[in-house]
Amino acid sequence: MSAADADAVLVERAKTGDRTAFEMLVVKYQRRIERLIGRMVRDVDLVPDIAQETFIRAYRALPQFRGESAFYTWLYRIAVNTAKKTLMEMKRDPIVTEAALAGRDDEDDQGRPDREPSDAATPDAVLASKQIAAAVNFAVEALSEELRQAITLREIEGLSYEEIAALMNCPIGTVRSRIFRAREAIAARLRPLLDTREGDRW
Amino acid sequence: MAIGPFDESAKERLSALADGEVDGVDAASLCTGWAADETVRRDWQAWHLIGDVLRSEDLASDPRRDRQLCAAVRARLQHEPVVLAPGAVAASHRGRWAVGGAIAAGLVLAVGTFTVLRPGEDAPVLAQGDRPAVVPVVVATAPAAEQPAVEEPVVADMRMIRDAQLDRYLTAHKQFAGTSALGVPSAFLRSATLDTAPR
Repeated sequence: MSAADADAVLVERAKTGDRTAFEMLVVKYQRRIERLIGRMVRDVDLVPDIAQETFIRAYRALPQFRGESAFYTWLYRIAVNTAKKTLMEMKRDPIVTEAALAGRDDEDDQGRPDREPSDAATPDAVLASKQIAAAVNFAVEALSEELRQAITLREIEGLSYEEIAALMNCPIGTVRSRIFRAREAIAARLRPLLDTREGDRW
Repeated sequence: MAIGPFDESAKERLSALADGEVDGVDAASLCTGWAADETVRRDWQAWHLIGDVLRSEDLASDPRRDRQLCAAVRARLQHEPVVLAPGAVAASHRGRWAVGGAIAAGLVLAVGTFTVLRPGEDAPVLAQGDRPAVVPVVVATAPAAEQPAVEEPVVADMRMIRDAQLDRYLTAHKQFAGTSALGVPSAFLRSATLDTAPR
């Protein structure tokens, strides 16, 4: 099974009306979609709204998704179109533009008008992002060789369990177990960063 | 629906689902567990965050902020009609999804029947605008009703079918309630009666 159809099971479930399966895909892709939109839209305040709209549009359009491309490729196009449409509407609607410009003025006061959108997040969020990247890297370094190899082949190289099993010369079930144990070990290091604030249940 | 505890074995299978390495039947119970257990959702989020960060560090983001987006999308999904792709319903998940399938099949049958019964009028256009390729069967559910009883959406008047054209179409159809079951235009029936009268 290639990385391209790693989403096939969840997509099929979502197409039969399972909203949960779709939410699981949202959790998977939200960061990539937000980064993509952030590169298209200068006003960072708009990014979450456009991302939200992207996922809702994708949900509505699910019956047309035939699996001819990877799910993310399809989602990517919807995000690009949604961002373009929002930008067009802002040009037509001066009220929205003013609101966006007001936000931009605040940023100018900080002397960073053209900074990257990800930098425009709150200092807390930036710090959290850096802590998470550091924690993940630290945790991966601390893994045993076989766990690190398994998770790396899966997440970075995008190999299937079958391919990893062939490379590591072990059964597929062992691959599955190693990847799971690697994820759990890394997630254990992340948990303090994931759960530090109460009241943000979802 | 009985939901067992989400044990280590289930978590390992959920991890495999994240990689697309489980079958549809297994995925069904895993999705149910995911929806029911917040700690499972956090694991899922953490695993994908880990994958993203391993691929590209600039994808590291504040998970609390990520959850806000998820919560917003989830809230809006509650107000979205359940979109069913007919092909997907027929293809898989007959057991657990028999209820949803039955509703969808019933609607397809109802719409199809109405179409057949009205030969003189254009078929209702269900797919509009930017999604013409597939005819989605759209079932509106109450926001809070995740698992409605079988008859609940069916008895929900004609308002359950959200397409305005179809609503008009169904209303118009009521005018022909007295005609033949085959939907033959009543004018034709009348002339047949006249033909037999002289005998």
